[in-house]
Amino acid sequence: MTTKNIRTLLRSDELSCPSCVPKIEKALLALPGVTKAEVKFSSGRIEVEHDPALSDAAALVNSIAKTGYAAKPSAF
Amino acid sequence: MFSRSIAIYANPASRRKWLTVASGMFITAALVAFYGFGQAAPWAPLMTIAAILAGYDIALRAWASLRLRHLSIELLVIVAAIGALFIDNHWESAAVTFLFMLGAWLEARTMSRTRGALKALLDATPVTATVLRDGQPVEIAAHEVVLGETVLVRAGQRLPVDGAVIEGTAAVNEAAITGEPIPAEKAPGSRVFAGTLAENGLLYLRAIGVGADTTLARIISRVEEAQEAKAPAQRMIESFGRWYTPGVFVMAVVSYLVTRDIELALTLLVVSCPGALVISTPVSVVAGIGRAARAGILIKGGEHLENAGRITALALDKTGTLTEGQPRLAEIVALAGRSRQDVLLWAAIAETGSNHPLGRPIIEAARAEGHLPTAEALEEIAGMGLIARHGGAQIAVGSHRLFDHLGIAFSAEVKDGIARLHELGHTVVIVAHNGEVVGLLGLADMPRASARPMIDRLHALGVNRVVMLTGDQRPAAEAIAATVGVDEVHAAMMPDHKLDQIRVMRAEGFRVAMVGDGINDAPALAAADISIAMGASGSDIAIETADIALMTDDLGKIAEAMEISRATLTNMRQNLVIAVLTVLGLLAGVYTGSIHMAGGMLVHQLSVLIVILNGMRLLRVPAADKARAAIAQTTERVAA
Repeated sequence: MTTKNIRTLLRSDELSCPSCVPKIEKALLALPGVTKAEVKFSSGRIEVEHDPALSDAAALVNSIAKTGYAAKPSAF
Repeated sequence: MFSRSIAIYANPASRRKWLTVASGMFITAALVAFYGFGQAAPWAPLMTIAAILAGYDIALRAWASLRLRHLSIELLVIVAAIGALFIDNHWESAAVTFLFMLGAWLEARTMSRTRGALKALLDATPVTATVLRDGQPVEIAAHEVVLGETVLVRAGQRLPVDGAVIEGTAAVNEAAITGEPIPAEKAPGSRVFAGTLAENGLLYLRAIGVGADTTLARIISRVEEAQEAKAPAQRMIESFGRWYTPGVFVMAVVSYLVTRDIELALTLLVVSCPGALVISTPVSVVAGIGRAARAGILIKGGEHLENAGRITALALDKTGTLTEGQPRLAEIVALAGRSRQDVLLWAAIAETGSNHPLGRPIIEAARAEGHLPTAEALEEIAGMGLIARHGGAQIAVGSHRLFDHLGIAFSAEVKDGIARLHELGHTVVIVAHNGEVVGLLGLADMPRASARPMIDRLHALGVNRVVMLTGDQRPAAEAIAATVGVDEVHAAMMPDHKLDQIRVMRAEGFRVAMVGDGINDAPALAAADISIAMGASGSDIAIETADIALMTDDLGKIAEAMEISRATLTNMRQNLVIAVLTVLGLLAGVYTGSIHMAGGMLVHQLSVLIVILNGMRLLRVPAADKARAAIAQTTERVAA
């Protein structure tokens, strides 16, 4: 199996309570190909390590939206 | 219209906003019908619709989390709301769901304002860049610029990359990096940063840093890491928060089993989110560090914020920190009946033959007074000075060693003059014309204009021991110390001595901050409670290693950093008190029966908002700063 994991950084402006942290992390990790998901409440950064062939950036954004938060990919 | 509705629905933020508004309208309608027109019939259906509108989104999210086996706050709220509908408490159900949605919306907005200090930095980087390819300007994405490529920046544009100016000049506003509003003049050879703004002119840059590899990106990621770094108090609260929610859930069940009071149990569910408590410290830290970053002060985490706020002593280097780091011509002493102009001119003629740092200010001063002729012959005697020939005369310029070497003796007048300049802390350059000493030049590294006000401000902040540590000799050190108001001088120090002095001060019970420029002071910086690096925008090492990095050489930022740190600490404590009182008050209120569901939700959401709003105040710290700046400006204008 060849894994071509990449790191994608997303940002959300809507994290208002740290209770969303485990919620979003669990939702992201439930996606195929996502090996690591970290939500930083303080800065609103969401760091994801994933295989883009299995789940691309749009899939990440989509799964975060399902938990109720808008996020978008960011260069840094 | 239809596709627009879909778009609103697909975006969780706008969907929630409209559901909240709609829910609020139904609640208002029910209230108006009942209290305005005495109509009781529409009450239950209208309130139920309001509850369903607001609760619908909460339920969706609760379900999404539940499928991932996560016990979310939304689940507790929705269980409470549905329970309230079942016991015919329509008003409570509508109020709880509506307030939960409204609160979350307000909190998200205020929280994003709190994070906003950094957003301004993020927004500073342009998305596109104009590069020259085959001599033609091409617009491409900023992160696709190739290193070494030529980037074109026009007036009014932000720089897309870090670079070096190849051609052109411009006034560049570097506030995004340094917090300094006055633009810097850039010319070929100048280093420029992504995110800064070309206010005029036209620049051709060679790209030397792109995308995540720019100073701005590094600053942003450092600031964010600092904001994310959890202070011990925060970690403790978070672990408390983790068992608080399930704990309250259990309490609700137990309370119901014991008292058979379903309303009490549901109310407990409503107040089960420790919201204010878990965000109390991060909100303050985010706002404090963000506020500092906006002023070009990089505080590397909550821990350093805490340390910086408790500093009682400050140690700093002299050269380059308290002073400009470059000698200036401070005094010209004319002897033997010569004029000051002649002395300066002769000295400058000889100095044109040298690259010595003391030569530059002499040449500049002479050029400012008029034409500077060239010498007919020049000889540099290493470590001593220069001998030049001009207009048939011999000019000797240098230290007393040169004159020992030439066998020129000093008169009493000359000796007195030298002694006086030494007392002022000046470096003395002696000038002789045809074997006769005709004048003395005193050169000094002048104190920065901002040094004295900074030290006064530190004293006012309770930093009572401001210590100068310098490798320089005592007279020069003391002259500067007296001008700027330093409390204590340690001169002629080797780097090890500086380290020892920091250790001694710490042993005496002081919390010591050390200000330095990095390499020379590295051991002392490491030994201090907190290390502060100045002028860090040009040095990545300083940004990486110092606890606090100041992007400019402005000493005022030291006091500002401390003021922000103190304000943040106070703010954090206030937030903790508010949060703890809320949690205790809510629990007490629920058990004594004085708080019901709607009230519980209201108090809870208000406490979260208050905590965030309190944190947001930090973005305006220190409050007096603007007033001070305005006063300074008026004074300058009056002086001009």
